[in-house]
Amino acid sequence: MALVAAPEILSPYYRSLALAILADVALAVSWAFFSGPSRYLSLATGAFFGAGAYLTAIVGARVPWPLPVLGGALIGCAMALLVGALALRLRGPYFAVFTFGLAELAKHSLIWYETGVTGTVGRLILAPPEPWTLYYTILCLAGLAVLTALLLRRSRWGHALAGIGADEERAETLGIDTTRVKIGTFALSAAFMGAVGAAMAPRWTYLDPQVFNPFVSFQTVIMALLGGAMTVAGPIVGAVFLGLASEILLLKFRYFYMLGLGLTLIVVVLALPSGLVGLARHARLTPR
Amino acid sequence: MNPTLLVDIVVGGLITGGIYALVALGLNLQYGLMRVLNVAHGEFLMMGAYLTYSLHTAWGVNPLLTLLVTGPASFGAGLVLHRLLYARVLAAGEAPEALESRSLLLSFGLLFVLQNAALLIWSADLKGYSYLSIPFRFLGSVFPANRLVAAGVALAVSVAFYVFLKRSFTGKAIRALMQDPEGAQLAGINLSRVHGLCFGIGIAMSAVTGSLISMLFELTPFIGLPYTVTALVVVILGGLGNVVGSLLGGLILGLVETASVYLATSDIRLIASYGVLSLILILKPSGLFGR
Amino acid sequence: MSMKRREFLKTTAGGAAALTVLRGKAWGQVKPVKIGYTLSGTGPYSVGAGITQGPNYTLWQEQVNAKGGLLVKGEGRRPVEFISIDDRSEHETAVRFYEKLMTDDKVDLILPPWGTAMNFAVAAVANKYGYPMLGPTAVSNKLKELSLPYFYALLAQPDPIMEAFVGLLKDLKAQGKISKIGLAYVNDLFGIELYNSATPHLKQAGLDVVDTKSYPLGAKDLSPILKGFKAAGADVFLGLTYPPDNILATTQAKEVDWNPAVFLTAVGTAFPFYRDRFKGADGVMGIAGWNPKVKIAGAREYFDAHVKKHQKEPDRWASAFAYASLQILERCVGEVGLDRKKIKEMLDSTEFQTVGGPIKFVKGMNVSTPGMVGQWQKGEFEILWPKSRATGTPVVPKPAWA
Repeated sequence: MALVAAPEILSPYYRSLALAILADVALAVSWAFFSGPSRYLSLATGAFFGAGAYLTAIVGARVPWPLPVLGGALIGCAMALLVGALALRLRGPYFAVFTFGLAELAKHSLIWYETGVTGTVGRLILAPPEPWTLYYTILCLAGLAVLTALLLRRSRWGHALAGIGADEERAETLGIDTTRVKIGTFALSAAFMGAVGAAMAPRWTYLDPQVFNPFVSFQTVIMALLGGAMTVAGPIVGAVFLGLASEILLLKFRYFYMLGLGLTLIVVVLALPSGLVGLARHARLTPR
Repeated sequence: MNPTLLVDIVVGGLITGGIYALVALGLNLQYGLMRVLNVAHGEFLMMGAYLTYSLHTAWGVNPLLTLLVTGPASFGAGLVLHRLLYARVLAAGEAPEALESRSLLLSFGLLFVLQNAALLIWSADLKGYSYLSIPFRFLGSVFPANRLVAAGVALAVSVAFYVFLKRSFTGKAIRALMQDPEGAQLAGINLSRVHGLCFGIGIAMSAVTGSLISMLFELTPFIGLPYTVTALVVVILGGLGNVVGSLLGGLILGLVETASVYLATSDIRLIASYGVLSLILILKPSGLFGR
Repeated sequence: MSMKRREFLKTTAGGAAALTVLRGKAWGQVKPVKIGYTLSGTGPYSVGAGITQGPNYTLWQEQVNAKGGLLVKGEGRRPVEFISIDDRSEHETAVRFYEKLMTDDKVDLILPPWGTAMNFAVAAVANKYGYPMLGPTAVSNKLKELSLPYFYALLAQPDPIMEAFVGLLKDLKAQGKISKIGLAYVNDLFGIELYNSATPHLKQAGLDVVDTKSYPLGAKDLSPILKGFKAAGADVFLGLTYPPDNILATTQAKEVDWNPAVFLTAVGTAFPFYRDRFKGADGVMGIAGWNPKVKIAGAREYFDAHVKKHQKEPDRWASAFAYASLQILERCVGEVGLDRKKIKEMLDSTEFQTVGGPIKFVKGMNVSTPGMVGQWQKGEFEILWPKSRATGTPVVPKPAWA
C-alpha cells in the first residue's frame, strides 16, 4: 500500500528507483512462474522485453496510453507462441541457448529490415506519458504478475507444469498435454515481459534495436535464482535485493561496484544454498 | 562460382571456425562434464588476450610465445577457482537443477569480478597491436598471415586435446566420467579431481584462444560475452559433451558465417548462424552429435 | 609533547587550513557550485567517454578551482564540485541519476553523458527540469525532431559532415586524383544517417560509387567488403565507421593488400591512439574538428594543459568542443549567475569565443562550426576541408601502409 502512495511522497529519483525495481520484480516473477516449476531455463526475456519496447516506440505517439502496453503483451505472446513450438522440444541447455539466440535474432532481423526497408534505425518517443502514469502501469503489471504466479501455483495447469519439470515423460503418460501447458505458460510469461518493455520504453526517449539486450535476460535469471525460483516470493526478494544492492554499490563505489556486485553474488550463493528466501525460512525454523 | 570466392569462403570459414572450435571445446568440457554453465568463460578469453597484449607491448615477447605463459597460468587459475567455488557447490549433494542454478549464479559473479579487475588494470580504452598483419597469398587469394597462424594454432591445440582424450589415461578417465558418472566412480576415478582438471583445461583453452585473438582484434574489458555466446551456440550445435561435435560444430558455424558475409551481406551473419542452429535443432534436438 | 612540537603542529595546521581556504576548498565557508553528470565507465560507451569528455571535465575543474573557483555573477568565486557516477552505458541508469541530480541533489548545473543515444534520453529529463545541457557528443539528424529548448548540440551534424566529405572528394576528382568510390557504412543510427546524407550529395557531385556495403556493429571481418572494393577498381575507400571497426578496416585493408589513393573513415580516426596504433597512420582521413595548429586563441594552451594533466592528447574531433562547452558555461555563469533561465537566454543569443572557434546556437544547433575532414600527416591531424578552416593540404594518393 506504501507502493501505491509512493509517487506522492517520494522524490522523482526514488520513484524512478521504485519503478525500476518493480519492473524487475515483474520480469523476475513472470520468468519464474514458467522457468521455475518447468525447469526450462529461458533466456528469452530480452527478446520479449525488447519487442514490447520497440512497439511502443513505433506506435506510441498515435495511440492512447495503456494500449501500447497491451500491444507489448500481445507481441510478447505472439513471439512466444511462434517460437515455442520449436523451442520447447529442446531440453535444458539446448533450450537456454536457443532462447538466448532469440534476442540476437530479433535485433539483427530488425536492423536488417530497418536499414533495408525503412532506411532509418531507431525511433524517438516525443510525447511520453506522465511519470505517475508509468509508475502505476508498472505497479499494476508487477501486481498482476504476482497474482498470476500465485493462482498458477494452485491451479491444475500449475501442477501440470510442475509435473513436467519433475519428469516430463511421466507427465505425458499421465495424460497431460505437455505441449499445450508448456507453450501456454511460456506465452503468458512472455506477455508480461513484453508489457513491461512497452511500459518502460517512454523513459528512454530514443529506442533502437540495441534494446534487445541479452543483459536483461541474464539479469532476470540472476534475480529469480538468487531469491529462489521455486517460490513466488523468491523472485520478488531477489529483484529487490539485487536492485537495491546495485544502486547502492553504483552510488558509493565508482570504480569497484561490479567487483562488489560479483563478490556479493558469489558470497550469497556459497552461503545460502536455497537462495535468499531460504534464509528467511531458515530463520523462521531456527528456535529462538 | 568464381574460384577465388570459393577459396575465400572456405579458408575464411575454417579460420573463423578454428577459433570458435577451441573456445567452444573449453566450454564443452565444463558443461558437458560438470553441468556448470560458465557464463564467465569469455572473460578468461579476455584475460588471456590482455595478458598477451601486456607481455608483447611491454617486453616485446612474441605473442605466440606468450601462450607458454597464459596457458599454464590460466590452467592454474582454473584449478584454484574450481577448488574455491565450484567444488563446494558440487559437493553439496543437491539436485542437479539446484546445482546448475547455483553454479550459474557463481559464474555471473565471476564475470562481474573479472570484468572489473580488467577495467582497473587496463582501463576501458581500446588496446591493440599489430602482429603479422601482412598479406599472405594462398590458393589464388590473399589472407592475413596472423589469422592463418591464429587459426592454425587453435586447431592444433584442439586436435592435441582430442588425441589426449583418446590416448592418455587421464583422457580415458575424463571420457568415462562423461559417459557414465556412477560407473566411472565405482571404477575408482576421483570425481572431484577430474572435474578440477577439466575445469582448468577448459579455462586454459579459453585463455589461449584469447591470446590468439589479441593478435587480430582490439581489446576492451567487454569482449568476453560475445565469445561465450558463440561457444554456447557451437556446443549446442555439435552436441553437449561431444568433443568432436564441438570441433566440427565450430568449423561449420565459421563456414556458415563466412559464406553468408560473402554471398549476401554482413548484416545477415548472425541471422544465418541462428538460422542454421534452428534448422539443426529442429532435425536433431540434441545437436549434431549429441545423445 | 614538547612546546616546540606543539607550536610546530599549530603553525603547520594553521598553514594548511590557510592554504585550503586560498585554494577555494574551504570547509563550508564558500558554498561550492555543484555540477552533476554521468559518464560511461563500463560498457560500449566507455571508450568515447574516457577520451572525449571525462578528461575535459576534470581539466576544466582543475583550472577553474586553481583560480579560486567559478566566477558567479554577484557572488565572487565559488569552487566547482562534481557529482558523478558511471552510468554503465545504460540509458535507464543515466536517466534515473540525472533525475536524482536535478530533484534530490538539486545541482546548479549539469553536463551531458556520452553519445547520441544517451543524450536523447537525458536531454528530455534536463529539459523537463529546465537545466541547459550542452552536448559535444550528440550527432544525429533526429535532434531537430526532438526540439528540446534546453538542449544545445555543439558538433557539426551528419549533413554538414557529408557536405565536407563530398566537397573534398569532388575537388580531388576535379584534379584527376580519384575516380571510383567504394562506400561502406555501419548499420547503426550514425552510420545510416551519414549514408542517407551522403547519397544525395554524392549524386549531385557526379561522383562514381562502384559498390556500397553495410555491416553490423561489432563485425569481426570486413575483408569481404574490402576485397570487393579492390576487385571493383575503387581508388577511394569511403567508410562511415565507428571504432573499433575503423581500426579493423585499416588493419584489414593492409592485409588484403589494398592501398587506395584515399582512405576516408568517419569516427575514431581523429583519436591519437589511432595514430599511435598505426605508426603515424599517414594519409588516413576522417572527421575532423580541431587540432592544436588552428588559428584560434587558446587552442595551443588548451592542448598543452590537457597533455600536462592527463599525459594524453585531446582527440582531434570533439574533445575541444567538450572543453568549449565548459568555457561557454563559465562565461554564462560569470555574466548572468546561476539562474538557469537566464543562462538559457544567454545561450540563445550570444556568440561565444571558444578553443573550438566561434560558436553560436540557433534553435539549439551550433551554426558556426562546419563539418570538416582531416588527414594524419607527420603526426598531426591536419584539417583539409573546408579550405577556410584548413591547416594543411591533402596528400593524395596516400602513402603506403606503415
